[in-house]
Amino acid sequence: MRQTTRLPSMDFKFDLREWWRNFNRKNTYVLSLVIFIVTTVAYLMLQPNAFEEGVLSRLLTSNFRTWLPVILLAIGQTFVMLSGGLDLASGSMVSLFNVIMAISITSNEEPWFNLVIVLGVVGLGLIGGFFNGFLTAYMGLQPMITTFATSFVYSGLALLILPDPWGKIPREYSSVYRITTWFGIPLSLFIIAFILIIWAVIKNRRYGHFLFAVGGKVDAAYYTGIRVTRIKISTYMISGFFSSLAAISYTLLTGSGSATSGAEMTLTSITAAILGGTSMAGGSGSLIGSVFGAIILGTIKNLISLSKMDSWYRLLVNATVIIMALASPGIINLFRRKK
Amino acid sequence: MSENIQSSEKKKFTLSPPVTALLLALLLFLASGFLPNGFNSLDTAINQAFNIIRLSSFLALIAAGQTLVIISGGEGIDLSAGAIVTIAVLVTYKFINGDNSMVLPVLFLVIACGAAVGLINGLGIAYLKIPPFVMTLGMAGVVTGALLVVTRGLYDGKVAPIMTNVIARDLVWGIPGMLFLWIIFGVLMTILLERTRYGKQLFAIGVNRLTARLSGVRVDLVVVATYSIAGALAAFSGFILVGWTQNAGLLVGNQYLFPSIAAVAIGGTLLSGGKGSYFGTMAGAIVIQLITSLLTTMQLPEAIQQMVYGLILIALLIAYGREKGIRL
Amino acid sequence: MKSISLNAQFITKKFGGVVALRDGSLDVNSGEVLALVGANGSGKSTLAKIITGVITRDSGEIIFNSEPVVFNNPLAAHIAGVTAVYQELSLVPSMTVAENIWLAHEPLTKIGQVDNRTMVSETRKLLKLFEGTYQSTLRPNAMVDTLPPDEKQIVEILKAISRNPDVLILDEATASLDSRQVECLFSLIKEWKDQNMALIFVSHRMDEIFRIADRAVVLRNGNSVGEVKIAESSETEIVSLMVGHESGLGRAERATLNIADEIALELNDVKTDVLAGVNFSVKKGELVGIGGLRGQGQTDLLHTLFGNKRFDGQITLFGEISTANHPRDAMKKGIALVPGDRATQGLLLIRSIFENLHLPNWQAYGFPLKQKKAESDANRISKTLNMVMASLEAPVTSLSGGNAQKVVIGKWLLRDPKLLLLDDPTKGVDVGTKAEFYNLLDRLCETGTTTLFYSSDEQELIDICPRVLVMQDGFIKADLSGDSLTKANLVSTSMGAGLNATNNKAAVHGF
Repeated sequence: MRQTTRLPSMDFKFDLREWWRNFNRKNTYVLSLVIFIVTTVAYLMLQPNAFEEGVLSRLLTSNFRTWLPVILLAIGQTFVMLSGGLDLASGSMVSLFNVIMAISITSNEEPWFNLVIVLGVVGLGLIGGFFNGFLTAYMGLQPMITTFATSFVYSGLALLILPDPWGKIPREYSSVYRITTWFGIPLSLFIIAFILIIWAVIKNRRYGHFLFAVGGKVDAAYYTGIRVTRIKISTYMISGFFSSLAAISYTLLTGSGSATSGAEMTLTSITAAILGGTSMAGGSGSLIGSVFGAIILGTIKNLISLSKMDSWYRLLVNATVIIMALASPGIINLFRRKK
Repeated sequence: MSENIQSSEKKKFTLSPPVTALLLALLLFLASGFLPNGFNSLDTAINQAFNIIRLSSFLALIAAGQTLVIISGGEGIDLSAGAIVTIAVLVTYKFINGDNSMVLPVLFLVIACGAAVGLINGLGIAYLKIPPFVMTLGMAGVVTGALLVVTRGLYDGKVAPIMTNVIARDLVWGIPGMLFLWIIFGVLMTILLERTRYGKQLFAIGVNRLTARLSGVRVDLVVVATYSIAGALAAFSGFILVGWTQNAGLLVGNQYLFPSIAAVAIGGTLLSGGKGSYFGTMAGAIVIQLITSLLTTMQLPEAIQQMVYGLILIALLIAYGREKGIRL
Repeated sequence: MKSISLNAQFITKKFGGVVALRDGSLDVNSGEVLALVGANGSGKSTLAKIITGVITRDSGEIIFNSEPVVFNNPLAAHIAGVTAVYQELSLVPSMTVAENIWLAHEPLTKIGQVDNRTMVSETRKLLKLFEGTYQSTLRPNAMVDTLPPDEKQIVEILKAISRNPDVLILDEATASLDSRQVECLFSLIKEWKDQNMALIFVSHRMDEIFRIADRAVVLRNGNSVGEVKIAESSETEIVSLMVGHESGLGRAERATLNIADEIALELNDVKTDVLAGVNFSVKKGELVGIGGLRGQGQTDLLHTLFGNKRFDGQITLFGEISTANHPRDAMKKGIALVPGDRATQGLLLIRSIFENLHLPNWQAYGFPLKQKKAESDANRISKTLNMVMASLEAPVTSLSGGNAQKVVIGKWLLRDPKLLLLDDPTKGVDVGTKAEFYNLLDRLCETGTTTLFYSSDEQELIDICPRVLVMQDGFIKADLSGDSLTKANLVSTSMGAGLNATNNKAAVHGF
């Protein structure tokens, strides 16, 4: 680095250039924030009466309760990606937990039983995550193909448990999830905010630093004495945990179960994380970016439906817009490099 | 990567992965002979063997492009291969429409389309720095979306007789034309990888892109070329596939996508890049086909088939799919 | 610091089929500096890594304060008070200097959060230890990947020291440092010795060993072959222990050159993000050294000449103006670059020697590639370079450092380059290979190859090159040759004018 001044290191000088560089490095979600604002504004503009009383709340509620499963998966995926891994099994775990709950939670006369089932599902999420982490981190298998393989196990199990879609989740439970709002803000949004707050705390603990170190340069983390395998396994367990949460919210949302419920969610959640600025190589990224990414994907879908486009065109437009969004950081960098 | 460095230094099989895959395939094949529907004479056995190889050859074909992009490193993967196969199948089906004279022009058209999709993939990956996973995934959506726009769910057409004769029926000595194609294709791919400048440069960028660049390799061009070739190969596979099945469908290609990745991995190609072979992929495809056939023959419910498929894959990966531990 | 003793006995270690250590033994106590010396492949790095828990041993004992211990991972070693300084190996590029130094032992607030303020202020205190030897890029909140190699090494050192170790192992820690920084490190080592730290100093550099160490243990071919007290020994004795027989230090003679009148290379006001306006010219057949402190633009200059960087200004090669913006263009003009870090820039580690040798050259072998011709050419060059290898098909990782470097050089020699750019080619190369390399340079000079040779070893520059360009801050500060090419001049022009008084420590100590 060329320096035009040769001063001995001054103690309290505040370097604007350095601050801006660090800000960009540490706040990878900025671009996704911009896209989020653009798409949300476009969406609101297409709503005839967006700012009338109660309409905003209704929009928030109906959208976020549908988006919550994918948002939760994206959050879980972010943990895994930060440490340099990938979890392709998250959606199939959602399917599995969804069918387990669908066949077990059928009446509201035994709330304790239902609670046990839910807790059991969360436990299974942790166990499944541990299994994924064990194979990748401890046995050293490649994450992509390994979690792809385990996803077959989970989705096969789901199919075995519930070959045809079915479910009778008690209305009361579903309603709580679907309708509850405080001050006009839906339950699902509160859940997201809560998780983000917890992350803000964790990020600045040693564990958070370990995550970024393991993803940033795994050898360096090892030489520094970090228990790399444990950290990696923990991220897969967290991903499993969020898969179980996603399954709970999905089950409450739809009131029933299906062995293919989570099938598409995996790839969507990964796209959301990348849109949000999390790097596939590990070591950089943020939870809020992934949340923005998932919201962006959902909003784009909404925009396409609202546009009353011929339904045959929808997939094409959706995919093209997503690619353009993914391309935007690259295009911006190209211009910067040319300068 | 485990804490204890020792485990990465355990004695590895001295056999190369493609050979191991073949031995495994042999074992599975022999095991299948003991099943109720198994073979009970040399003739039946040979027939079944040919059948398996023929069925696996499509997977091997589709996995060819996948092999190239995985060797190229940089977390290379082609998730658009399935969509390209589907579009190739539909285009071939529609435009040939039973007319022999259309075969060559349509073949070129189809390959050009595949190459175009691959080119877009390559450009996005090399110059816009989009991770291959999401770029190819996105393009899969674009291609499938374009398909829907054009076909609106309907498709019609017919395969040309010459295709059926060459690919589907027996050609010479009772051996189906597909097998000859498989062997010739395998030889050509191996020549591409081992005996061309492109192949050497491909392995180089898979190992270390900086060293490659400092040794004169135009890394970005090789990356773009690789994804373009992969797209072309996927399209070619679709062309051949419809020649065999004489039928088209909207989800045809998708079922081959992840098995193609598994075939490459089982065949000994490192998913991190820089090492591998097409023979390995061919062997891996046979293994996967055997597993699938075995599961179908045993008439297990689809759910169990899925689970067993996943578990076997895991077992194979544990056996010799380990990535290296910390380098010393 | 409490008093400790560390004793390694009869350590053995095999990697695959290769024996790295047959009998690794050493012992070190508080308040002394033990040098661990040996050629490449002698096992000294392996022994150091076993002591710090990075690798586990096959057999043998480590006795720490009279108790046998087992370090299964670096964390166990840290807990026991044993820490190592590597060469940039333990820094996470995407994190800041402060975060890296305190990684895994960050200061915490009462509720368990990382205390960023304390982390930064403590980092500033540590940085003060090296004050005056680095540029203003080195700050607590700077991202490590923006730092030049010498500053990264300083961060590595501070990272180890921040743990207050009882035993500190410095594994080739001075390789990336310039003379000012080494000076500073050595005075810190003396302080740490007084504070009762035990230090193990793994190094190639004889002069440093004789300046700083109290005792030395020599490894050869995986065996501990001798232990000497520095005060009672000599360089010759140690080298003969390393090499196994009496041998002179063999300072090479200056190459006899074959200089033509034609100008091979001319630079006019060449600027990049690092170079600030470089001007010089070189005649065909000259051997020109590039010197100066680390990170002053030497590597950048070589990479720019090789077409690997964009530049402003004019570069003229053999009469033609250069428009190279990719190494391929430079290669077509007959330029070759042997990069500074062979593992990450010069070699394809998991491929064979054969493939590595031919990587730049496949174009010459047609389609399909003529395998036989390629093999015979590869054999020819490996004989010329005296490469010790199992076979051409062996992976390049099976070679020792010196032989691996020969592969990097060999792949370029196969092209008969007209202009050879060398980026610190003898770094981390053992004595024997260095001698062979100098002979090779001689032969190249005789055939009229023009060579630019950057070395971080001032003695080497003086011994080998008849002319040295000294760089500082992206400029050529001095063009020394003949009478003006002395070590004193080299060092003083490296330091340059314009520094404040505290940086004259090096001039006072001299070399």
